[in-house]
Formats: sequence, structure tokens, C-alpha cells
Amino acid sequence: MTTYVPDIEKAPEAGSRKEPSYLDVTKGFWSWAGTLDHKRIGLMYLVGVTAAFLCGGILALLIRLHLWTPDGAIFENAVYNQVFTLHGVFMVFIFIIPAIPASLGNFVLPLMLGAPDVALPRLNLASFYLWLTGTIMAIYSILSGAVDTGWTFYTPYSLQTQQAVVSMGLAVFTLGFSSIFTGLNFIVTIHKMRARGQTWFKLPLFCWAIYATSVLQVLATPVLGITVLLLAFEHLYHIGIFDPAHGGDPVLFQHFFWFYSHPAVYIMILPAMGVISEVVTVHSRKPLFGYKLLAFSSISIAVISFLVWGHHMFTSGESEFVMLAFSFLTMLVAIPTAIKEFSWVATIWGGSVALTAPMLYAIAFLIIFAIGGLTGVFLGTLSVDIHLHDTYFVVAHFHAVMMGSTALAFFAGVHHWWPKMFGRMYNETLAKISAILILVGFNVTFLPQFAMGSQGMPRRYATYIPEWQIYHQWSTVGAVILGIGFALMLGYLIHSLFAGRKAAANEWGGVTMDWESPTPPNLYNFDEEPVVTGELYDYGHGAKH
Amino acid sequence: MAHGTDTSHGHGDTVVDHSHHAHVCSFQAFFGIYVTLLFLTFVTVAIAEPVSGLHLGSASMLVAMAVAAVKAALVMTVFMHLRWDTAMNNLAFLGSLIFLSLLFLFTLADHSTRQVADPIGGTPVEVKRFGQD
Amino acid sequence: MGHSTIVTPTPQGGFQTHTVAHHFKTAEQEFQSAKLAFWLFLATEVMLFGGLFAAYIYYHDVYPETFQKGGALLDWKLGALNTGLLLTSSWTMAMGVRASQLSQRKQLVWWLVATVVCAAGFMVVKYIEYSTKYHHGIFAFTGLFSPDDHYAPDLQGLAYPQLYFNLYFTMTGIHGLHVLIGMIAIAWLIWRGAQGRFHSGWYTPVELVGLYWHVVDLIWIFLFPLLYLVP
Repeated sequence: MTTYVPDIEKAPEAGSRKEPSYLDVTKGFWSWAGTLDHKRIGLMYLVGVTAAFLCGGILALLIRLHLWTPDGAIFENAVYNQVFTLHGVFMVFIFIIPAIPASLGNFVLPLMLGAPDVALPRLNLASFYLWLTGTIMAIYSILSGAVDTGWTFYTPYSLQTQQAVVSMGLAVFTLGFSSIFTGLNFIVTIHKMRARGQTWFKLPLFCWAIYATSVLQVLATPVLGITVLLLAFEHLYHIGIFDPAHGGDPVLFQHFFWFYSHPAVYIMILPAMGVISEVVTVHSRKPLFGYKLLAFSSISIAVISFLVWGHHMFTSGESEFVMLAFSFLTMLVAIPTAIKEFSWVATIWGGSVALTAPMLYAIAFLIIFAIGGLTGVFLGTLSVDIHLHDTYFVVAHFHAVMMGSTALAFFAGVHHWWPKMFGRMYNETLAKISAILILVGFNVTFLPQFAMGSQGMPRRYATYIPEWQIYHQWSTVGAVILGIGFALMLGYLIHSLFAGRKAAANEWGGVTMDWESPTPPNLYNFDEEPVVTGELYDYGHGAKH
Repeated sequence: MAHGTDTSHGHGDTVVDHSHHAHVCSFQAFFGIYVTLLFLTFVTVAIAEPVSGLHLGSASMLVAMAVAAVKAALVMTVFMHLRWDTAMNNLAFLGSLIFLSLLFLFTLADHSTRQVADPIGGTPVEVKRFGQD
Repeated sequence: MGHSTIVTPTPQGGFQTHTVAHHFKTAEQEFQSAKLAFWLFLATEVMLFGGLFAAYIYYHDVYPETFQKGGALLDWKLGALNTGLLLTSSWTMAMGVRASQLSQRKQLVWWLVATVVCAAGFMVVKYIEYSTKYHHGIFAFTGLFSPDDHYAPDLQGLAYPQLYFNLYFTMTGIHGLHVLIGMIAIAWLIWRGAQGRFHSGWYTPVELVGLYWHVVDLIWIFLFPLLYLVP
């Protein structure tokens, strides 16, 4: 087995294409704003979610700088509450949930199926504009008085605080429907648009992951929709459904909220797992270990995610009986998750690994996801969670899963498919440096948070006792390293669009159909309608899965 | 996916695709279901406590929901053609009911077990239950 | 990829030809994609209303007496009338879809008109119910829940009676909004149907609006006994 070397000399010459690429076929603002092409919609999402990540990231840096001193260095306490709420809303609803499915999924999924587009192109564009509307509404809520409830909007506090909760709730409602439309579209696309000969077990694992994600988006998001709608009604008209002053039960709000928001955690991580599967197999030049197990584990994670939401509510006053049930069911999540982690490692084992930039991001994912996943088992354990609930341990855990895993997988995917998207390559040396900076920066930021969380440092506090200052300062240093890593990434990616070398037709030697299209793809993706005949992930050296 | 028609012609052709055949119900079938639905509505009203004065106790909720479920099943299978539709379309719609039942199951389980402080020993103790002021 | 134009068979009698969208290989693929997408959308409707139903059952469990006495203040006769109207409209809608499958242009229009008329009747009855409640001071969404002498004695001593009425108004309000949206969609079908847009070769919008309308009916089938005949 040898490492794949892209034939850069054979990079497609201008004029050698049969049809112009999707980037060149039409020009001008309206050719983008009104496009029905899944690739352009994917790119618009990519720009949008990256901007949201930038905003949320700057807010995160401000939070970390504020916590440099025990009394808080920057904000007044009330403003601090608004800043971490905005950070949460931007990162959760506007960045992470659409990040991988709506940008990378939109671009790659039809290519992997050998299809000319998604099944419902108009709905796809509508989904983007709903996302944009929701984002504008969220920004409006900031300008009209801000929200200080945290991204969870728990009642009764969210009913007593600023009126902007109403517009923020409606923003989340709109963003939710954007997410539903994307998921619905992808389910139909996977069912109805597959190439001839592409049976379900010849689907690349990214498609399985997107499929499982989409099921969650379709089934769980409507409950969030009705919940935030009722919250808005409650705030405006005091209807009493969630307000104890009018006979309502705040715990019911938490049930409704987490019925969506726990599956939402898997809406974030499942597509990330799909990206990692693709990156790991291509850059190790080896078929995925345990293909069917990986596929079914995605589906089982999706199903189990509907059975565990109460583990967010162990201190809310829900009954001890359901706490026990939820704690037990939570342990089940560890099984398919561990199958995935071991399968990826087993895929790398014995492969001819190329330490490319996407692969470095994927390895960073594997390391941090192991931390995030295992600390999740601690928190799912009822007795342990009573101690750790609402501490920095929880903060560090979910940042390990969301930021350290999902965001890193997102960037692994961006680096992996960047040459396919734009036909240009970024500076790989800089990309490797930024991957290492981010891995180091992440751990410097969050390992101290695990430590002080286990000692009792509560989350969402603007001040703290001086004993924890050293932890907080390490954490802030780590956040700055992370910030440098991301700024570097943004710089070389943008630079590559103008000055990067032309990418090879198949930059990494991928063997799924996304690499069979011209680079960049045509308007309707392929020169000839693809037909699937061979094995999936066949790298041509006789290895079988 | 059905590939009933060869569409691999060259540029500019117009191909008439006859691949689509759907199930058509008879007038009698639809009318029969409609009359049944009206009858079941009458049953629902007739046995309801505010109308009939019947005291079915806690069973009345179950009876009312069972009759409604039968009506819903008739609408879904015949009016919505689910009986003749693909397995996937059946799963897409009916699957949502399974996940919805989880929301019902856990929230109601929470409420109905909240006064039990020792779920293993099963000894109820005096805990003020939500809603009992 | 091939760029041949695919059309569906068009019957005689002034019907318009339907061209299959460029990214589909067959008309069947296009029809089935739209249908699966719509079934999934209907699943989201089930989940959305399901949240409201869960809240209703939950509080029914918490305040059984409030819900029983509150429900007795609704007029079950009007509720039953509305159930009959919606069931009738559901039947006429099913007949409308059938007419489009059989390329019966006139029948399609008349079945759809009958559907809209029933739906309008439903909304008129709803308006009568809402305005009665409003005049007696239990239109809770104003934030001022102050039942007048007509209702006050029946609500005496109940825990949080406004919670029941708020759920009633929220659930029937969101359902009524769906009825209105459905009426607009059916009106559009009438307009296009009269032009001969829908026929045996292509009736996807009629089929989809039909499914939507049946779900609106399905939700009411459960709302009626829960709200008006509270056990």
C-alpha cells in the first residue's frame, strides 16, 4: 500500500471541460441569490455559518477575557448574561445545527448519490432564506434589548426578563423550520435520487449520517417550534402553560425543550461522524472497518436520542423514577458511539495514512471526541450528575462534543472538499499548523474547565472566587490560541480562492462518486449519468471490509 | 425508483412518460367511509358524560380516544390512500406517532410518579405534588 | 447528462401539459419524491400538534376538575356541527382528488368548491364560539381573565380555570390557522383546476393539498372529544 499522490500535472486545464463549472456557468448577484443549485446554496450556507461562527467566536473570546480576573474584567454582570446567551444562540441555532448538513451536506450529498440536484431544489433555497430570516430576527432581538436567559430559555425566568425573549423565540421557530426543510429534503433525496445500482449498502457513510440527522430534524424540531411559540404566547399573554404563577409547570417546559434539544445534540454530532468516516477512509486509503455497524450505529444513535432527554433535568424536580429510567437509557448511547470511535481507529490501523490537513483535523476530532464522549457517561450517571450539574464540567463536556468534535469535523470536511468546491488548494503547511494550534488550544481551554468544574465552579457566573483564577487564566490563554488558529485558517482559505494552486481532478484519491464529477462540478454535476457497479470504498489493492 | 421509460435520448427530445399509475377509489368506498365517520361522531357524542349523563369514570377518556382513533384510522387508510401507498410513506407518517408517544410516555410518567420519593422500595412519602395547592 | 424533455400524458379536452423537472428521470420519480416529502411534512405537523396534545393531557391530569367544568362551558352542539362540517369537507376533498385522477375537470372544481364552503362554515361557527366567549370575559388571550355573571358561578373555586381556556384557544386557534391556510390552497387549486392544469397525467398539487386537508381533519377528530366532551 502506498500513499496516494495527486497528479497535479493533470489538473484540469481551462477549456478542457465538456461543460462550464457551476461557478462559471452564470455570473452576478441574482445568479446566486435566486439559485436552485444545491452547490451554490451549500456555499451560501457555508459563508453564512462561518460568519455566525466568527460572531459566536468573538463573543466567546470576550467571555474568556472577562473571566481573567475573579471580579470580571470587562462587563457588568447583567451584560455578561446577555453575552453568553448570544454566544449560545449563535453557536447552537445559527452555526452548529445547519453547519454540516446545510453547507457540506448540501454540496456533497447529491454528488455522492450521483444525482444532478437534491429532490426539492426550491425548498432548499427556501430553507436558506428561512435561516437568513431567523438570523436577522435573532440580531433584531439583540438590538431590541438582548436576552439574558441562556440559550435554554428556562421558565419562569424567561417570562420575567426582557420582551426580546419573544422575538428571539420566533427567531428560533424560524430557524427550526429552516432545519426541518433541509432534513426533509435530504431524506427524500436519499430515497429517490440515488444512482442506478446504488443500493442502501453502497451508500457512503456520510449519507447514512445525514439520513439519521434528517430523521431527527424532521421529528424533533417541530416540538421545539411549538415550545418556543408557546413561550412567546406565555410572555405576551400569560397563558399559564409554563408559568407557575398561572398554574403552569416549568418542568413541562424543560421536558418539551429537551425533547428537541437532546436529539439536537445528535443533529450536531451525527453529520460530524459522517464527515470523519469519509475523511478517515480516504486519507488512510482503506475501506471503513465495520461499514454496516457504522451505518446502523448512526440510526440507533438517532433512535436512542429520543429516550434520554431527562438526563438534562436531574436537578429540576422531575420524579426519581424517570430519573432512574433516563440515567439507564443514557448509558445505551455509549454503545453505538463507542462502535464508531473504535471503527475509525481500526480503519486507520494498517492503512497508508497521509497526514494531510483534513486528516489532522480528523485525528484531533478522534482525540477530543473520546474526551467529550466519556465525560458524557459521567454526566449521565445520576449520582455523579447531582454533583456536576451546572458546573464548568458540563460546559467543558459539551464544548468537547460540540466545538471540539462537531466544529473540528466541520473544518475537516471543509478542508477535505475545498478542492472539489473551488478547484483550488489552500496552503497545506499553514493548514497543518492551524490544525495543531486548534487541538492544543482546545485542550488548554477546556481541561482546566473540567478540573474547576469538578471542584464546583458554577457555569454562567460573571465572577468567581480567587482560588480558581489560575484555571480561568489558563482557559483564557487556550481560547486565545484557538482564536489564532481559526484566524489563520480563515486567512489561508480566503487566500487560496485567489492565489491557491489549481487542485487536481481528484485531490485525495477518493473513490466515492463525489470525486467522479469534474472539479469543480458542472451545473448538473456530472458529464455522464453515473452508474454504480463496483464495491464501495474500493481503493484497488484488494482490501475488503 | 421506477425506471419504466427509457429517457436516455439525445438532446432536445420530448419524451412522453407513461410510468405513473395511481390507485383510484370508487365513489361507494368514499361515501361508505364518510357515513361511517358521521356515525362514529354520533357515537362519541351520545356516550359522552355531558350529553348522556353516563358515568364511565376514567374509562370515558379511553373510550372517547378509542373511537377517535378508529375515525382517524379510516381517514388515513382510505381518504389518504395509505392502504395503497408505499411502505415508506406509511412509515414516514405513522413513525411520527411512535416518537410522539415517547413524549407522552415520559412526561406523564414523570407527573404520575412525582410523589414517590423512594422508587425502588416503592414507599410513597408525603411530598407535595405539583398542582395540589 | 441527458437533457431530453419529459412530459406526462395529457388527456384530450383542453388540459395543460406537464413537463417533469429537469433533475428527475421519470414522472413517477417526481411524483413519489413530492409525496414522500409531503408525508414527512405531515409528520412534522403531527409532532407540532402533538406537543399541544401532550400539554393538554398533562394539565388534564393535574387539574381534572378544572378541565371537566371548563369543558362543560363550551357548546358541544356547535363542536359537533363543526365536526360534521370538517368530515364532510374531508369527503368532498377525497372526491376532488378522485376527480383529478380521472381527468374530470368540472367535477374537480365543484368538489373543491364544496370543500371550501364547508371550511368557511367551520370558520363561521368558530367565530361565533370565540365571540361568545369574548363577550363573557373568558377570551383569555387579552391577559385579562374576568368571567362575567354568566360563567363565573360555574368557575367558582376551580384551580386556574384560565389554563383550560388558554389551551382551548391555543389549540383551536392554531388548528383554525391551518384551516385558513388550507382554504387558500384549495382556492388556488380551483383556479388552476378550472384552467385544466390537473389531470390523470399530473395532479400532484391536488393530491398534496388533499393530504394536508385530511390531516387538518384528523387533528379535529381528536380535538373535539378532548375539548368539548371532557371526561
